Amino acid sequence: MTTMKSNLHPSTEMLEKFVSGDLSVGVNLAISAHVEMCEHCKSEIQEIESRAAEHWAESATAEAIDYEADPSNIIENIVAQPQFKELDIEESAVGSIHMLDRSVRLPKVLAKAASEGLVWKQLGAGISQADVKIDDEVHCSFLYMKPGSQTPVHKHQGTETTLVLDGSMSDELGEYHKSDFILRTNNDTHQPRTEEGCLCFSVLDSPLTFTKGLARLLNPINRLRFQRAVGRTLS
Amino acid sequence: MGNLASSNRASEEAVKPKKSQIAAAEGGESDEKLLMEVGNHQSREAFNKLFERFSNKIFLHGMKITRNEQLSKDLVQEAMMTVWQKAPLYNSDRGNVQSWIFTLTRNRCFDMLRKQKRQPQCVSADDIWPAGMEDSESLVEKDRGALAVEFGHIEKFLSQLPQAQQEVVGKVYLMNLTHEEAAADLEIPLGTLKSRLRLAMGKLRQLIGTSE
Repeated sequence: MTTMKSNLHPSTEMLEKFVSGDLSVGVNLAISAHVEMCEHCKSEIQEIESRAAEHWAESATAEAIDYEADPSNIIENIVAQPQFKELDIEESAVGSIHMLDRSVRLPKVLAKAASEGLVWKQLGAGISQADVKIDDEVHCSFLYMKPGSQTPVHKHQGTETTLVLDGSMSDELGEYHKSDFILRTNNDTHQPRTEEGCLCFSVLDSPLTFTKGLARLLNPINRLRFQRAVGRTLS
Repeated sequence: MGNLASSNRASEEAVKPKKSQIAAAEGGESDEKLLMEVGNHQSREAFNKLFERFSNKIFLHGMKITRNEQLSKDLVQEAMMTVWQKAPLYNSDRGNVQSWIFTLTRNRCFDMLRKQKRQPQCVSADDIWPAGMEDSESLVEKDRGALAVEFGHIEKFLSQLPQAQQEVVGKVYLMNLTHEEAAADLEIPLGTLKSRLRLAMGKLRQLIGTSE
């Protein structure tokens, strides 16, 4: 399915929002991790950054405001501080993380997000999930699908962002490999499955609804889990 | 000959129009010159000018995102503090000063808001938007031990480096200048010099390693 190709990177519009800081932290994490693995998006981001900076500089000069009549105290305070002379190339304390039965090297930003420890829960059908508490607005988690497993058919009320970190999976729309960035929005119904096993980072901005069979019984629980994860009540 | 010279000049200008435009438009030094003064010589005067040039822009960014005047004022302080502290690390190979200040403003604003909303602090803006995103890390060599290779061979390897990297290696290792002196001599920011030097040494190690 070559038409799916464009879905495997974040759209330019999304990268623009990423650069300007207009996305939720969860989606920022997924995009940042993708960019770390993707040369193409790395260079696109650089271009977007310089365009955004130019736009920022121009729009601000159009409005003549003086934010502070006399900033000399502020400046005095700043220049009294020492400068940084060396670039700290910070070694990430956790470069790779043991995911159940295997060890996977995570993109740095996700290793950092997971550095406080992951608690894995079995969701059944060979699928495990470990939440990452990062934000009030989205539910972020690592998802691990054992080889040969598949999720129940579900559709999305909001947006699900999935980044494949290891292994591969497929659904009705295509096949996804490491570093693929997948966006599923309203009313996409799908049933991901994996042959070789798959580790993903997933960001949900509203709960999934299971649409088939016994799994439907899980729906109220699923909503409850989502509420707990994001710490607010859904209407 | 005259034609050749003028077309060379024209293409050079086409590559770098912004710096001269900015300097010309404001009738003063370019942003980069000022930041170099701050980073290489701790110049307060240059910092004053940068503050004047950018504080309103940072303030307006803060107002747009937070809609709160006090937070926006705090953002100006935080962002300009970062400009001062990180000026020696600024690397012009990664983008112009405007982009650098824009991204650090975005980052400080992001962190400030998360702190304000009492969100978990395990991930910061600098994790999400790492400064070295476009550096090829495999080439970055941190071990600064001596290179074990005959001097005569070094020149051969040196000539395989990009021109800009040859220059910094020449100044620092052949002319024995300090990093600060070499940066001043080449008229590049200190951070740019250090970055080029790291890349050059990494590349040299690779070349020497593969030749044996």
